[in-house]
Amino acid sequence: MKTRTASARPVHPRARQLNRLALCALLFVCGTLSAGITQGQQQLSKRYPAPKNVRVVLKNISGTITVESWNRDEIKLTMILESPKANVAPRHNGSGLTIDVMADNPGRSDIGDVNFKLQVPVSSSVDLETKRGQITVSNIRGDLVRAHVSLEGDIELRGISASQVFAQNTIGDIYFDGEFARKGTYQFQSGKGHITIRIPAESAFHLTAAAPTKQIKLGEFWNDKFKNLGGGRKYEGEVVDGRSKVNVTNFNGSITFMRR
Amino acid sequence: MNCEKCQDLIEDFIDGSLGQEDQAKLNLHLEECLGCADVRNDLQAIVSFCREHRGEYSAPPNERALWLRIRNMIEAGESVPASRPARASWGSWISRSWELSFSQLAAAAAAIVLVVSLSTVVGLRRWQSGDAQFKASGPDAGLQVGAANVRDRVSQQQQLISYWNQRVEFNKARWNPEMRETFDRNLKVIDQAVNESFDALTLDPHDEVSEEMLNAALNEKLSLLKEFAAL
Repeated sequence: MKTRTASARPVHPRARQLNRLALCALLFVCGTLSAGITQGQQQLSKRYPAPKNVRVVLKNISGTITVESWNRDEIKLTMILESPKANVAPRHNGSGLTIDVMADNPGRSDIGDVNFKLQVPVSSSVDLETKRGQITVSNIRGDLVRAHVSLEGDIELRGISASQVFAQNTIGDIYFDGEFARKGTYQFQSGKGHITIRIPAESAFHLTAAAPTKQIKLGEFWNDKFKNLGGGRKYEGEVVDGRSKVNVTNFNGSITFMRR
Repeated sequence: MNCEKCQDLIEDFIDGSLGQEDQAKLNLHLEECLGCADVRNDLQAIVSFCREHRGEYSAPPNERALWLRIRNMIEAGESVPASRPARASWGSWISRSWELSFSQLAAAAAAIVLVVSLSTVVGLRRWQSGDAQFKASGPDAGLQVGAANVRDRVSQQQQLISYWNQRVEFNKARWNPEMRETFDRNLKVIDQAVNESFDALTLDPHDEVSEEMLNAALNEKLSLLKEFAAL
């Protein structure tokens, strides 16, 4: 059977010319657009030598914060600054790195987002704050992981094994995937969002969980020792020997515990 | 009677225009509350000083215009926080012909600043001690807290909140529009949590969980306002 394909069709030279023109115009438009997008941004990157248990403190105003571990004794800081550009002057000393966008821009309330990416040694402690924007922390096994979003932004903490973990936002989800250390302290609080905690089945902790929506799901961690207070709005009790303290509060949303 | 109501009535008390019933309640509160008693003493000292030294200083030129400007400033400052109708007695207090000299007026202005600072400090202390008391007393003690006490404490915290809210509103115009919108949206979420807990407590004044949530939500709101007052 004979088939007729498009390539076999004869193309008029004028049509070919028009096609080329259209392609050029499209490339021009794309180029102009991408130039426009990148013109308002500035990317900066810097490396700092760091001990294995370095402490990183980051106080942002608006923008995302991503922290991940790597197998080097140094910190790599990458920032993307949106217009109007903020001043960012990281302070580095032997024990840590401090970045305070608020302090570096006194009286400037109109600065653009600053998106941070930090690569740090695996045993680092990280203390992160932003007024608006997502915070993501992966594979940190230091003493402290603190993620505080004053207003809106999800918090994702994955592969965390720290003795102190604090995660708080007003609107946004909080996701924790990690381990609870013996005698550790863990606090999670959201104003509106879902809080999900994914931990190993053998975890031992004392839990206080409160959610006025009554959406508290303890899954496999539920046992008869739990006290049900306020008709399911608050649960308090121990899982195994309660060696670490876990406090979860959600004003308007759910609290879910999952086995890892 | 709580501190807010008391400090509202102190002006009338010094003015001598307070009813007998209110005066009795006020005296009772002043006996119990050192902070409010201090405010009363300070204000009384200022007014006595002004009365005693009336006419000792030569009046500045265009005294009437100066007094009007100060009065306008005071009224503008007072109208922001509560957005409620001005009290009749406050109007008469302002509109009295005091015939004050320039230095007396300066002293009065300084005294107003002093009184406002004192009120704030008193409010802060009461709030902090209340919070510490709540934490120390534990959940069992929460059951004994009556609805009136909760309302008093909420009202005291609301005073602080309204103070910090004013500061936030003052700075807000400088923020970028996105930040303003986000802040307002988030504050509504906290307000919702406050209102829901308060409603639940109104239905059941011994609801321990609602009281805890109310405290947490109010503290959250206060810390958010403090944080953004500095932005």
